Amino acid sequence: MPEVEENDLQPFFVLHKASSRRKDRTPTAQEKLCKRNELSTSPQSAKKLGGSRTEECDHRLLQQLQIEAFDIVWAKIESTIKDVLRDLKASVFNDIQQWVLECCNATKLLGEPTIAEATRSFPLLSNTTPGQLFTAFVVTRNIEFVDDVLTFEELGHFLKSHGCHVAKLSSLEFSLKNGIAGCLKALLREFLGCAIDVPIILIFGVATTVDTPRNVLPSHALERLCPSSFMLGTPAERMDAIVEAVFVKHCTMFSIGHKVAAFLRNYFINQDGTITSFIRALKVACLLHFSMEPLSLLHGRTIAEDQKEGKSALSPGTLLKYIDELPLYTRNQMVDHHTKKSMAEGLSELVTVQKLWSTTVLCLYEAGKYGRVQLLDLFCEALNQDLNLSSDSDHHVRDERYCGLSSTSDPRPQYSIMQSSGFIGQIVRKVRDLPTGMLYHLIESWERLTADISEYNTHTAQFRGLFSLGILETLVACQCLDKSLIHHIICGIGKIHEKLKVLQSSVRCEDGKSSRKSSKDNPKRFASRISVSTDNDARILNSQAIAFLDWLVGNFLKPIEGMPFHEILCFKNVEKLQLVLIGDPRRRIQVDLLDFHMILRCSCCSKSGNALLPSRHDSSIMYSLAQEHGDLINLHDWFQSFRTIVLQHKNKRKQNTKQSPQPKKRKDTNGSADQNEASIQARFCRAVTELQITGLVRMPSKRRPDFAQRIAFGL
Amino acid sequence: MDINGNWDEDEDEEFEFSRNYFLAKELASSAKKSKHKLTDIDVVDELELKEAASQIQPKHENEIALLLDSYKTMYPEWLLALRCGFGLLMYGFGSKKTLIEDFASTALTEYSVVVINGYLHSINLKQVVIALAEVLWDQMKTKRRVSYRELQRQQPFNSQSMEELLTFLDQAEIDDVDFFVSVVIHNIDGPGLRDSETQQYLARLAVCARIRIVASIDHVNAPLAWDKNMAHTQFNWCWYHVPTFAPYKVEGMFYPLILAHGNANQTVKTATIVLLSLTRNAQSVFKVLAEHQLSHPDEGMPISDLYSVCRERFLVSSQVTLNSHLTEFKDHELVKIKKHSDGQDCLHIPLTAEALQKIVLEIN
Repeated sequence: MPEVEENDLQPFFVLHKASSRRKDRTPTAQEKLCKRNELSTSPQSAKKLGGSRTEECDHRLLQQLQIEAFDIVWAKIESTIKDVLRDLKASVFNDIQQWVLECCNATKLLGEPTIAEATRSFPLLSNTTPGQLFTAFVVTRNIEFVDDVLTFEELGHFLKSHGCHVAKLSSLEFSLKNGIAGCLKALLREFLGCAIDVPIILIFGVATTVDTPRNVLPSHALERLCPSSFMLGTPAERMDAIVEAVFVKHCTMFSIGHKVAAFLRNYFINQDGTITSFIRALKVACLLHFSMEPLSLLHGRTIAEDQKEGKSALSPGTLLKYIDELPLYTRNQMVDHHTKKSMAEGLSELVTVQKLWSTTVLCLYEAGKYGRVQLLDLFCEALNQDLNLSSDSDHHVRDERYCGLSSTSDPRPQYSIMQSSGFIGQIVRKVRDLPTGMLYHLIESWERLTADISEYNTHTAQFRGLFSLGILETLVACQCLDKSLIHHIICGIGKIHEKLKVLQSSVRCEDGKSSRKSSKDNPKRFASRISVSTDNDARILNSQAIAFLDWLVGNFLKPIEGMPFHEILCFKNVEKLQLVLIGDPRRRIQVDLLDFHMILRCSCCSKSGNALLPSRHDSSIMYSLAQEHGDLINLHDWFQSFRTIVLQHKNKRKQNTKQSPQPKKRKDTNGSADQNEASIQARFCRAVTELQITGLVRMPSKRRPDFAQRIAFGL
Repeated sequence: MDINGNWDEDEDEEFEFSRNYFLAKELASSAKKSKHKLTDIDVVDELELKEAASQIQPKHENEIALLLDSYKTMYPEWLLALRCGFGLLMYGFGSKKTLIEDFASTALTEYSVVVINGYLHSINLKQVVIALAEVLWDQMKTKRRVSYRELQRQQPFNSQSMEELLTFLDQAEIDDVDFFVSVVIHNIDGPGLRDSETQQYLARLAVCARIRIVASIDHVNAPLAWDKNMAHTQFNWCWYHVPTFAPYKVEGMFYPLILAHGNANQTVKTATIVLLSLTRNAQSVFKVLAEHQLSHPDEGMPISDLYSVCRERFLVSSQVTLNSHLTEFKDHELVKIKKHSDGQDCLHIPLTAEALQKIVLEIN
């Protein structure tokens, strides 16, 4: 074969070795930085970075920054998730460990084994001992396979760290090659060294219910087991914990848009609730955020600053460049000074709004726990911009009228959250029917959420990093901004807290049977609403709680996507995420073939719409033709129609005075030599081979030598 | 695909898919099944066909070049994903060999790159892993990441087990995330890598800290080779759709031309490649058979005759060993069994005398 190089026929080869050009990372980056700084001293030169060397330097610097940003942000998210999951499992793991200890003690009470027992291959299994094995059934609540393996690995580590010898067996080990017996033998061999005075304790994972082993194991096996059972959390519980830590409490400022959130949620569900898959999806989103959004680098720096305070590796000039690339910057082309100021203010507002949004979501979630609303669902809904029905002008009016909690007879009908079909509506309806005792607890937990400003203060330390950035310092009087930001947030939270105090006092009144107090303020307003629900005091309380939620949602549930400068923190390119995360070879390879001309953007193949023109790629013609066949393609027919298409052009040229609607003569071209025929046949063969490589067509079998088989039907 | 991916639409999609399948089935049974035979095509001489196949004029060369060029803008994105610990998986119609090697030669100059040609039929993964370990070792030495003690302790790689090699490639103690060897795998779904054991090893290779994988797939069902653990935690793919429409020149080399008479007709090249992957003894057994066929062109060789000749030459010790060789030959369609007129099973190589001579020369 021509044009095939030697290397192509080697099973493998070394393409090249690492070039020695690469120096250590940090100095290179700094070197580049210096270069950049020199360049950006004059404002014009920054725009005219024509030279390819500078450009390459730019690229390298950019990538270095991207990687640093990704590393920092992702490391933070990952460790947060790890902590959250560890905390969730901690109690179960502790219980198991405690149980293991008890088991050990129990076996010791049975007395030391005799020499004869001890030297036998497996003393504790022998009949002379009571013969029961301590067994734990860990109910994994239908956890998905990948997570399951991971959980037991962690349990293994946990027990090991508490001084147990641990051997692990998973279905992965039960291969055809080793068999179950082989695995067990290996396991026993591993234990032989220490088996003499260490009791064997079994820990089984059970996917469904505790009584499954009873149904599965034969009775004589069951007799030998001394079972206990433990429960792990459900995947949904773990998921909610992760969402809370990463997206609601914002361990980093990284956040996602509504569509991305909805996509991730569906992805999680479609993957049978696999946490591992969700985390991976999140990681890809994070990667894409830094890879596609230049402004995101500000985000990375922010957290970096936070971690190693004071050490600013980035010059204001570099950051300025990224700010200059910001789409919003170009959108509101104002005077320079103003833009920068508005940027700084925008960031400050962004952070404030985000925090208040979080508090609102947490309050809603607290209420949602009574109705088993999952945080993941609520989170998605809370990011939805369409939800925000009330306009700003309304807010002011409402704010003022909101002095007493009972301002529910607004001109607007009792705000739409009550009627909304979503999860928030569901939560509100639950609150409406909540018994007083529970309501009291709920309000208490709301208070905790809003009162804990000290916890909140440590949280804001993170944001402070944003403002200790050199860039902002030079732009605005940063110190003052910093304070005002925190002031803003505390003000917002304080407001919520105040409102709660009022609510709580009325609850207390209710408790103390002097319930009328708060409603007395505005008896008329209430009258209209309460007419239906009689004069029930408890009901009034419930509606006050609803009013509180209503106020909260109306004022603070502002999705990040609606805010200016949210691009810095928020990833929302769901199409890209889907492409990179999932890939869809089955559909896309077919589309490549069927819409060949669209991808290649050539003028020749698309001029007559979707009709097959001979200029199209041979495999594309062949696959389009294959669509007309059933599941079997007659090779002869396929060849003939291919031949017709390919020769179409030539026929046309011959009779170009007339346009024949259906060129069909093929024997006309007999004159143009057999070479032509050979070429067409060769092209046919190659196209079939190519389709075979893609797996879209299967070759004729012995039973049906004249038919190829189609594999894919429809996209 | 719907982005919000709600259940109804997923279901619709599934329904659409099965409907299409049954429509296609129906079409096949209702429309009269075409009675045309493949043999009705007036196929040109096989040599001529092959000659023509090697001279097919490429279409749209300019547009394809432009398309390939346009992917160059994605190189930084790919590099970033790779450096952040992901694997790259390229898919889309057309050979991606040139594209990926260009990416490796321009964007991955700072890392060593090893290429695996998955479209070939026999790939010894152990050899690949040994080579990778050697490359990484070199890279470590030049970057002075090896202490003197390690230098002395290091055993030759080809005497190490797969487990040891994988541990070496993991090198968790090196702190630099950016220190790795890239492995380019053309057609990770190719015939030489398709079996599940190899895929498991590749997945384990992919998790090694000092390894990054850039792979391509062509088969629409390639992802079925990986379970969730492999795809999501080990390979950790970022998918990139990069149709090139470039001809599958090397990749298609081992597929028989469908119009060349009888797909069973192996070319000298493919037969030789298969034979060379077998043991020395198996090759010799094949040679005995080939020599017999060359000297007695019209009749096959009875199995018993083959056995006695092979025993004489100490090529096999028992009928069982011979049978295992024969099974191997049969699997690769190097040997067919014909019934002789006297009812005896005779072995026959489905190749022309000319081709046979060439092969005998090659395996010598």
